[in-house]
Amino acid sequence: MEFSFYEFRYAPLSIQIAFIFIVVAITCTIIAYLSILRGRYKAYRHEKKLASLHPVIDNLLMEHILLNVELANDTPAEQVQLPVEVFRLPVFEHRWAREALIDRLIHYRNNVRGSMGEQLRNLYIQLNLDKDSLKKMKSHKWDKKVQALAELTNMNMSIADVTILPLTNSNNRELRAAARHAYIKLSKNEPFKFFDVVTEPLLLWDQVELFKIISTTEHIAIPNFAQWITYSSNKTIVSFCLKLVVHYNQLSAVHAVIKLLDTKDHYLRGDAINCLGKLKIEDVQEKLIHMYNSQPLNCRLEVLKALGRISSGKHVGFLRQEFLHSTDFEVRKHAAKSLIKNAWAAKGLIQELIDTATLENKLILKHCMNPLIKF
Amino acid sequence: MSKILLVEDDEVMPKIVEKILHKEDYQIEHVTNGKEAFQRLEDTNYDYDLIITDIMMPYANGFEILSKVKNRKEGKPIPVIIVSNAGNEAMILEGFKLGADDFLKKPVIPGELLIRVKRLLIQYDK
Repeated sequence: MEFSFYEFRYAPLSIQIAFIFIVVAITCTIIAYLSILRGRYKAYRHEKKLASLHPVIDNLLMEHILLNVELANDTPAEQVQLPVEVFRLPVFEHRWAREALIDRLIHYRNNVRGSMGEQLRNLYIQLNLDKDSLKKMKSHKWDKKVQALAELTNMNMSIADVTILPLTNSNNRELRAAARHAYIKLSKNEPFKFFDVVTEPLLLWDQVELFKIISTTEHIAIPNFAQWITYSSNKTIVSFCLKLVVHYNQLSAVHAVIKLLDTKDHYLRGDAINCLGKLKIEDVQEKLIHMYNSQPLNCRLEVLKALGRISSGKHVGFLRQEFLHSTDFEVRKHAAKSLIKNAWAAKGLIQELIDTATLENKLILKHCMNPLIKF
Repeated sequence: MSKILLVEDDEVMPKIVEKILHKEDYQIEHVTNGKEAFQRLEDTNYDYDLIITDIMMPYANGFEILSKVKNRKEGKPIPVIIVSNAGNEAMILEGFKLGADDFLKKPVIPGELLIRVKRLLIQYDK
């Protein structure tokens, strides 16, 4: 050993650095392997414990809930005596076992509803498992909070606004999505109240997730989205509300959307035009054509698309002019598509354009006339 | 005794279905994916009175099973019930287009499942 230290001390600096580097690397690798092994062993032990606990839980649930004659006859769950005592086994004093029970109850509730589903919820409450979930809500770890939100949502437990609303604005993406999901599912009267407190931009992916939650949640109270279109200072919320207005065909919000045409943000203006087109608001066409020449490209394209979607047949002349005289390919393409959508009022005109157009314009028209090609 | 094939990859659902249907003395056989379902159907020469299937499963989905069972030229017709989490309009319509006799969205009401199974078995037994 003394010889090694002597050797190391008088070795060149580069060798010393390399030696230290090798020692550190080997130590780190060993620690990493050991922590992986420890994690795997813990997971294996946990799996083993769960494998022996799950049949116990299943038997209890089967015997006292699924095979309960009164519940099978659809007697309301609150009128059926729940034998809570049989579920108070010593094993459930351990946290891991209570978590396993919560998971299993949720799993069962995802498969059965009606009186039996309600009885599973009653069991969750009477065994004070909701307190475990609420305790997890207070944890500093975001994953615990997400887990708690999922449990409370699945068990249809209400959460105070003061607890959940700040989480809908969390910096952590997962937690933010879980909190919004929970809020929409649990808030009976104002599921969209968190739109008022969102300060961060609603990313496109967030919008997709939210849209999925909103469109798949049953018995949801749909508000008038015009309130956020008019007053929200968060542009992404306004943009998302425009999409929801289209989805719910909310004609009562049209006035607010038309007002949005005067906004300085041209992306938002484009979204508003898109919304009006999809709602097929015929009265707005004059205004759109009036503002057309002063708009940036994205808004002009949206105006052309809107004229096609509304398909009133009143503005085929305008579309023809754009198709023939614009220098921008996208403008010509959308003008052509909208002309085709107005074909019922412009049959002769379309034939005339095909006969007299340049090779490129003819190709655009043919492309737009193909019903299989969508853009 | 009516023989029912249950195709379901969820761990809990088969236990629930077995308990619900066992009351009526049905014989339930359970497989966990589409491939096993095809194998079991071939091995038994489609000797089932009813098939209950999920949609999204490994190897072959519920629609493939449904399509194969309903497009069989010979043998007795077998009713198929789809029980799935996927309850959007397109999925339901696709199921009925392929010949499903019933579509139940999870979570199910146990009593409802039992009645629908009974009704289909009586209907096909005539």
